[in-house]
Amino acid sequence: MQRIATTVRLNRSVLQFDDAAHARLEQYLAESARLLEADPDPQEILADLEQAVADQCTHRLRPEQTVVTLAELEPALEEIGSVQAPGSGPASMAPPREATLRTLQQISQGAVISGVCLGLARYFRLDVTLLRVISVLLLLGTGGAMVLVYLGLMLLLPYAPPEPGGAPIRWLPAKNRAFMEFLRAKLGVDRAGKITA
Amino acid sequence: MAAESKLAPIRKGLLEFLVLKIVGVKSVYVPDILRQLAGTEFTTQEGTLYPLLSKLRREDLVQYEWKESDAGPPRKYYRLTDTGRAQLAALDDYWNLINRTIANFGN
Repeated sequence: MQRIATTVRLNRSVLQFDDAAHARLEQYLAESARLLEADPDPQEILADLEQAVADQCTHRLRPEQTVVTLAELEPALEEIGSVQAPGSGPASMAPPREATLRTLQQISQGAVISGVCLGLARYFRLDVTLLRVISVLLLLGTGGAMVLVYLGLMLLLPYAPPEPGGAPIRWLPAKNRAFMEFLRAKLGVDRAGKITA
Repeated sequence: MAAESKLAPIRKGLLEFLVLKIVGVKSVYVPDILRQLAGTEFTTQEGTLYPLLSKLRREDLVQYEWKESDAGPPRKYYRLTDTGRAQLAALDDYWNLINRTIANFGN
């Protein structure tokens, strides 16, 4: 069986969406157009929004994934938010409090192996180089047992959402991440690191 | 919190001022602006920012230019126009004046 994907041009980007994601995308854009009815220049804003959706979805695609699904689109739309005309409506600027809630995550962008040290560094507000040095020392000091700890963290820590304009993801972290997601699916560990099986 | 309903319009009104301030420092693209606002009382989303920037551009306060990026399509970089800079200076002065006025009452 083959999954049918629709190719969509979003401003300056071209992306493929599966049926469910495509329907949701059209709904979001139609809703945005409706909210911008009173705006004198809706075309420009809609073009910007399309680009924002394309960028956010592209950042969320796993390596080698080519078709955007609801799993990428929903969080992307959530981050972009619905259209607010300036100076109108109730101020729905309630800051997303989750942003300040610290969670232990691995950060693929700028990672060397998988982003565990980067994640720990951000969590504990430490210099990442310091953590990497400590990790290597522990690795040598424990005669390699540290590898198991690292692998455990790699398997269990959720991945931080990509930051637009952040560091690129290198080859090794991308491969590791793809492998871990494969392993997680096999072992029944979901994305949040909880064991679901 | 009951006060929240009164604070929200204040934040909303000040967002434009803040965006002018951010754009005034150096030319930025939208994720830069969002990052600077994130974690403050003015945390904002693209859905709010694009219509606001479009309005500021129509009022000739900001301008944008396309710049190539190493990852992905070209990006829109916004900067202040001369009119924008003058208005920002006026807003800054007014904001300081208001702050002094408020501080002088109730003491």
